[in-house]
Amino acid sequence: MKNIQIILNAILSKDIFEYILVDRSFKIVSTSSGLGKYLETVPKKGDDVLEYCPEFFGSEKEIKKIFDNKSMAYVLESVHKKDYYVNLSLEYYDEDRVLILLHNITDTTLTQQKLLQFSNESILLNNTLQKILDSQNAILFVTHNNEISYTNDQFMKYFDMKKILDMKRKNLKIYEYLDESLEGYDALFERVNSKEEYVTINKDTFILKATWIESTHKLFTLTKITKLTDNMQRDTLTGVYKKSYFNTRIEKMISNNEEVVVVVIDIDDFKAVNDTFGHQAGDDVLKEFSTLIRNNIRADDVFARWGGEEFLLLFQHANMENALKKVEHIRTLVAEHNFKHVGHMTASFGLTGKNESDTIHTLLQRADKALYEAKKSGKNCVKFKNL
Amino acid sequence: MIRKKILLLGDFSVGKTSLVKRYIDSTFDDKYLTTIGVKISKKHLSIKGVDCELLIWDVEGSTPSKKISLGYYRGASGAIFVSDLTRRETVEGLEAHKEIFLSENPDAKFVVAHNKSDMLSDIAKERMNVDENTFLTSAKNDENVEALFIRLMENMLS
Repeated sequence: MKNIQIILNAILSKDIFEYILVDRSFKIVSTSSGLGKYLETVPKKGDDVLEYCPEFFGSEKEIKKIFDNKSMAYVLESVHKKDYYVNLSLEYYDEDRVLILLHNITDTTLTQQKLLQFSNESILLNNTLQKILDSQNAILFVTHNNEISYTNDQFMKYFDMKKILDMKRKNLKIYEYLDESLEGYDALFERVNSKEEYVTINKDTFILKATWIESTHKLFTLTKITKLTDNMQRDTLTGVYKKSYFNTRIEKMISNNEEVVVVVIDIDDFKAVNDTFGHQAGDDVLKEFSTLIRNNIRADDVFARWGGEEFLLLFQHANMENALKKVEHIRTLVAEHNFKHVGHMTASFGLTGKNESDTIHTLLQRADKALYEAKKSGKNCVKFKNL
Repeated sequence: MIRKKILLLGDFSVGKTSLVKRYIDSTFDDKYLTTIGVKISKKHLSIKGVDCELLIWDVEGSTPSKKISLGYYRGASGAIFVSDLTRRETVEGLEAHKEIFLSENPDAKFVVAHNKSDMLSDIAKERMNVDENTFLTSAKNDENVEALFIRLMENMLS
């Protein structure tokens, strides 16, 4: 009661509180004189309070409890009434009446609204910028101390990550995809800043670029060009790789000192197909032959057309024994295959492995010699030339 | 007369206040003004000969850092969940709003308003999955606004 007396005194002395006293049937008993500024019409004694304060509709049960329990209260914050914002609070007055206080909080609420408006507009702008960034190529943002501070959605999706911390978990070091000898993002930046580089990640090719942001942060962009480069690197007739792509791959493996087995393949008596069935039938044989081999090698093996009816096969990380078994299997598949238009055909195969001093030239020369021996031995066989 | 309390719920800046203004005052203002707290409007309507009064609670939108006071949900018979079709995250966020509201009012009815449909092409609109309680609305062009409120009232009376 003492508290209420203090508040009522405040009501009389200041303009921040108004009140309504209601009885158990929610009829208005009395109000303060300034209440009208919050309402469209001035309430009269005996009116239903819900007509003036529809905010209480649906909460009648809770409000009724206040009549019988002095410690109970009901509060509704930041209610917009006419041109003002008020907090509505209901509390026990006596056993027949509840006091509804309307606390004018307009000034503070309008200040809060300005801040909230600014905050919401900032969030909207930030979301739009985020969507723009996410629609671009894969982006990696690195701080001056080589911490990854941001990656966009494209980057996350490509590397199957949900947050930046996943990079640490996966120990993902983008610089190692370009060159395993690079030791960090500073070294990568030095390498890529002056000229863009092509980098192969998984089975995709990217153009990698680097830019300074504010002299402290490094921005790396990865533009996926896999489809474009893949199309350019493929033979138009057979769909297998061109010799130039084969050269690029083998050069990289030689420089990385990787285990390599090279196979030179020649379709036996192919000239007779062109002469007997015509060049269209010859083209069909080349396509069918290519498909047959492509379907029977691993995804990371490289199959290329050297020219005419000669093909190249590159086995990565394979020892000679397994490679020989694999090639023998392919030879059998070819020999047993019934080619459209022309029936059965065979092919000859020459293999060799890489030694430490090999170049592309010496490797191919040795594999070609093995092929020559296969041809001399009656064709339709696999020959291996020692290191 | 039957009186029902309903709420408009959704993320900030999806157009909840604009829908109410269009329905109550037949007006529209392109300028975005953040709602703070709650504003209650009344609307009288007649559904199949029954006089009804809707108490429409236009509640401030939730933001990542500010959630809606649960006190506003008390005693509601229905809700309109509003999203902005131009912001995918607001459409995806509707489920969270539904979950909170229905946990407080399990028997309440609701409809969904995918708002700002005036910004979508006809083809994009056709691709949207809508059912009898989901509306593509535009407060700007007064598209489906009245139908939205009437459907909710019908659902609450059924």
